[in-house]
Amino acid sequence: MQKRAISFLKPYKKYMIVAWMLMLVELAVELTAPILMAKIIDEGVLVHNIDRVILWGFWLLVITFLAFVAGIINSFFAAYVSQNFGFDIRKNVYKKIQNLPFSHISKYPTANLITRLTNDVTQIQHTTFMIMRIALRAPLLIIFGTAMAIIVNWKIALVLIFIIPVLLVFLVVMMRIAFKNFQAVQKRLDRVNRRVRENLKAMRIVKAFYRKDSEISRFIDANHQLKAQTMKTLRIIELNAPILLFIMNVGIVLILWFGNIQLQIGAAGAGAVVAIVNYATRITGSLSNLSWIIMSFARAKASNDRINEVLMMDEEDLVQNSENTLKGKIEFKNVYFRYENHSKDINKKSRWVLKNINFTVKPGQKVAVMGATGSGKTTIFQLIPKLFEPTRGEVFIDDKNIKNYNSIHLRNQIGYVSQESHLFSGTIKENIAWGKQGATNEEIMKAAKDAQIHDSILQFPNQYDTVIGQKGVNLSGGQKQRLAIARAFVRNPKILLLDDSTSALDMETERKLLEVLNKYHCTTLIITQKITTAKQSDSILLLDEGEVIGQGTHEELLKTSQLYQKIYASQSGKGVKSNV
Amino acid sequence: MSRRHHRNVNPEDLKLTRSKFTTIGKLWKELSNNRGLLFLVLFLVLVNTIFGILGPFLIGYAIDQFIYKQTLSGIIPLLIGLITVYFFYSLTSFLQNYWMIGIAQETVFTMRTRIFTHLQNLPISFFDKRQHGEIMSRVTNDMDNISSTLNSSVIQIFSSVLTLTGTIIFMLWLSPLLTAITMTIVPLLYFGMKWITNRTSKYFKEQQKHLGLLNGFVEETISGQKIIKSYSQEEFVIDEFLQKSNALKKAGFWAQTISGFIPKLMNMLNNLSYALIAFVGGMLALKGDLTVGIIVTFTEYARQFTRPLHDLANQYNQLLSAVAGAERVYEVLEEEKEEIDEIHAAPVERVKGNVEFQNVSFSYGRDENTIKNICFQVENGQTVALVGPTGAGKSTIINLLMRFYKPQSGTILIDGKNIQTITRESLRSFYGFVLQDVYLFEGTFRENIRYGKLDATDEEVEEAAKKANAHSFIMKLPNGYDTKLTEDGSGISQGQKQLLSVARAILRNPSILILDEAMSNIDTVTEIKLQEALQRLMQNRTTFVIAHRLNTIQNADQILVVYEGEIAERGTHETLLKKKGLYYQMYKQKENTIVV
Repeated sequence: MQKRAISFLKPYKKYMIVAWMLMLVELAVELTAPILMAKIIDEGVLVHNIDRVILWGFWLLVITFLAFVAGIINSFFAAYVSQNFGFDIRKNVYKKIQNLPFSHISKYPTANLITRLTNDVTQIQHTTFMIMRIALRAPLLIIFGTAMAIIVNWKIALVLIFIIPVLLVFLVVMMRIAFKNFQAVQKRLDRVNRRVRENLKAMRIVKAFYRKDSEISRFIDANHQLKAQTMKTLRIIELNAPILLFIMNVGIVLILWFGNIQLQIGAAGAGAVVAIVNYATRITGSLSNLSWIIMSFARAKASNDRINEVLMMDEEDLVQNSENTLKGKIEFKNVYFRYENHSKDINKKSRWVLKNINFTVKPGQKVAVMGATGSGKTTIFQLIPKLFEPTRGEVFIDDKNIKNYNSIHLRNQIGYVSQESHLFSGTIKENIAWGKQGATNEEIMKAAKDAQIHDSILQFPNQYDTVIGQKGVNLSGGQKQRLAIARAFVRNPKILLLDDSTSALDMETERKLLEVLNKYHCTTLIITQKITTAKQSDSILLLDEGEVIGQGTHEELLKTSQLYQKIYASQSGKGVKSNV
Repeated sequence: MSRRHHRNVNPEDLKLTRSKFTTIGKLWKELSNNRGLLFLVLFLVLVNTIFGILGPFLIGYAIDQFIYKQTLSGIIPLLIGLITVYFFYSLTSFLQNYWMIGIAQETVFTMRTRIFTHLQNLPISFFDKRQHGEIMSRVTNDMDNISSTLNSSVIQIFSSVLTLTGTIIFMLWLSPLLTAITMTIVPLLYFGMKWITNRTSKYFKEQQKHLGLLNGFVEETISGQKIIKSYSQEEFVIDEFLQKSNALKKAGFWAQTISGFIPKLMNMLNNLSYALIAFVGGMLALKGDLTVGIIVTFTEYARQFTRPLHDLANQYNQLLSAVAGAERVYEVLEEEKEEIDEIHAAPVERVKGNVEFQNVSFSYGRDENTIKNICFQVENGQTVALVGPTGAGKSTIINLLMRFYKPQSGTILIDGKNIQTITRESLRSFYGFVLQDVYLFEGTFRENIRYGKLDATDEEVEEAAKKANAHSFIMKLPNGYDTKLTEDGSGISQGQKQLLSVARAILRNPSILILDEAMSNIDTVTEIKLQEALQRLMQNRTTFVIAHRLNTIQNADQILVVYEGEIAERGTHETLLKKKGLYYQMYKQKENTIVV
């Protein structure tokens, strides 16, 4: 079911055709007006026939009104199509993102995906609206205007036939140059903005180091480049209109000159010359519109490509089927993992994040995972709910390869608490109930109590109905972590994954929390930096640079692992000096 | 030609207030720095407008003389005249823009540099009171808005006004009656536009609101994608998204439809005046009051006449929103600078690092003292730990020591010298820092370490990195010290950032060291390296440590327990434990770590 963005226009084809028809009416009026004008002059004024002047004048007014009505109705249809089209794109892109495997999503920076859903859709919407109103009008006016001029008097119209193609080529070349330059401006502008952001973020340091002079000169450097590029670009663009106008105006002068000659030999009427001059001025107007239209097409195309990139990705199979509940045994067998095109990585591309990982966790066991940043702890966690798939090797849950599990079924039995404790705007209750749609108040409260957050919630202004997030109460880091844990508890998970999610809790709270875990009969993996936490678990997994370098209880590791000894020493406040 | 994207305009910005006039005056002054060139541009606009009016007039004349009367001679000189007029018309319109862009960009460049420089000179309290995003948007969005407006608006407004008056004068001269008829479209235009904008403003507001809601929701759910997936909540968020998206669609439909009437209205009025001129003009020509050439000229003028009206209406909104942006920029520029050093302040070469606080009190607001009567003395080379709950006043003490703020009473002495008598620049050069947030900028690792001492040699930089335990990880990078760091230092861990920060401090070789090393985000292995590096750094320097892991505190020569703005307890780890006071309680509560 992969559809390109443009295919969402299909249901609105009829409406589009109506809009175009109405636009053609407007165009026809615009093209007939000069003819009527010529008739007023030729049949009325020149031969002193007042009835003709009234007749053609009346028709001129009628068609003007007709064009207006057509234009108004066109507006409704065009807006209808573009709004619905935009809605459908947004819907499908959003759905797509929701249904993509996490490994695909994580390749894109968040801001990048957000832009696709917001700015890019708006851009396409505006262009669609324009296409149904003026985008086609400008080229059509140029074509029909020239055609009408030829019909009126082809010899005089020859001037137009020569000039217009030249102008079109000129326009396209100029647009290319302009577009490239605009991109350069944008880059420079981004750089200036980046310098400002960097500086603001570090104001205290800048002041402390007394580095304002070097900061200012860094900024001026970027600012200077922006100025130079902006000036150059805008000046190139300003060259466009005067040249275009001049050539067109010379064309009109030529029409007059040539018309004068034709008149003298009696090959054309005066009205005809006036009409052609009239067409020429209208074409001039359309040509200057054309450059603007090309510009906005180029932008819409870029947006369209970005959206299609998302729409063309393969979805994850998320059909749920009922299977038995898990017992919670986890086993990693020779697991290797590396990220695909992880281009943001400053180190060499795609190095192994996990190398030959082997371990088994029995149902109900509590295992602490320790190791440096980048040692692969979080990656191990992400393999369990199938957010990523191992590059090599296998992961088993209850002795069944997780490849053979249905994602939804598997995830519904896992409580994953990530490092960032991401909460959503809404009430506290909603945030906890997030873990289980339709959770009862009792279940929510029990989860909150177990996560040691119940007492804090009661102190909030509206207790469980307190709104959190951007517009609501600000929570402390520890409170956020505990809410995220409550959200996992309410699921009654068979496997609980805590990714350094107790770091902001004090000893006492953490101890209580770990005790509660025993009640839940779930297999627990917990990433931690604290020896005290590790001590309370059944087993410890020590990672370094993607490999397991130690496995066992606290006491065992103290004997066998040098690294573990070092960590222990540093955290108990003894022996660091001896290592210096 | 427009390169303006659809900006989210705040409706408040579009209100015309008295202060906006003052701001326009200021902007004008800004532009007047290039007065000579600016007058040249305005002169060119005038010439350009005249040529613009002359063109259609000559065309009409040519039609009368050579098309209807078919005069035989004299057409060539007239046509050459016409081409000359058009040539100068195009030339002046290019040159006016060419120079105006120069003036505008020069002005924007100066304003940007000025606001940035001014930010560097503002007291830290300015930044403490505001959010970064807010200041950021003034330097970026608002300046960008001013930039694009200055480029086009000045010329547009002048030329619109001139064209309008010029055209009307010419039209009156040609035929007062036809002019009066053409003018009838002005009230039609006015009421038509009013009818439309009255409706659209409501729908645009609504659209803006729904767009904001939708964007907020998208941002939240896309950044929380990992949680949504792991909790299988895809369907749930899709439903909510569709609701929000639908509301946006409804508001957007009416906003777009009705605002789509504007060009149609303009078009109709253009055609209407065209028809009226042809009709009435034709009648008049019959009576012989008018020539056909004048009718042609008139139709051309009528077109020229509605365009500036439309442009002015467009420019008005753009101008107002740019002026609102300029108002915000000036607000920053008019903030008081950090106090300049006292007249008797002098630079000091080197200090040993004896620090003394004598009865120092300070408050950020007026109502309450943040710190009260702080007294303590530190010998050079000693380590002082400041502990206490958040908001107790630990950072305030450091802020005062740095002269970020000035104490309301009491004196701070370094080597027996009041710090008010030392220039800020030399005072701050004695300090080194390792703070919670590490400032890394876009540049190489080498440049980032060198930030501590701008004239350090490559050897010095590497030496410092070695001492900071940063050398080994830097050497593993593809280009070693010349590897580029991205803006926010993504790609290296929090702990590694801290190591770079230590390297910086080592390079600086300060007499007094300030550590605010909350380690919650640092992994255990890097932490060990960091501890080592810090130990090296602290040797023989006066060190202030804010709140930490036990071992740093345990080894401190002096622990100051700050509580509610006062020093509640002081002593060494052992004496304080024996005292069984606040320190003892904190120690018990957290067992191994004192996270404050």
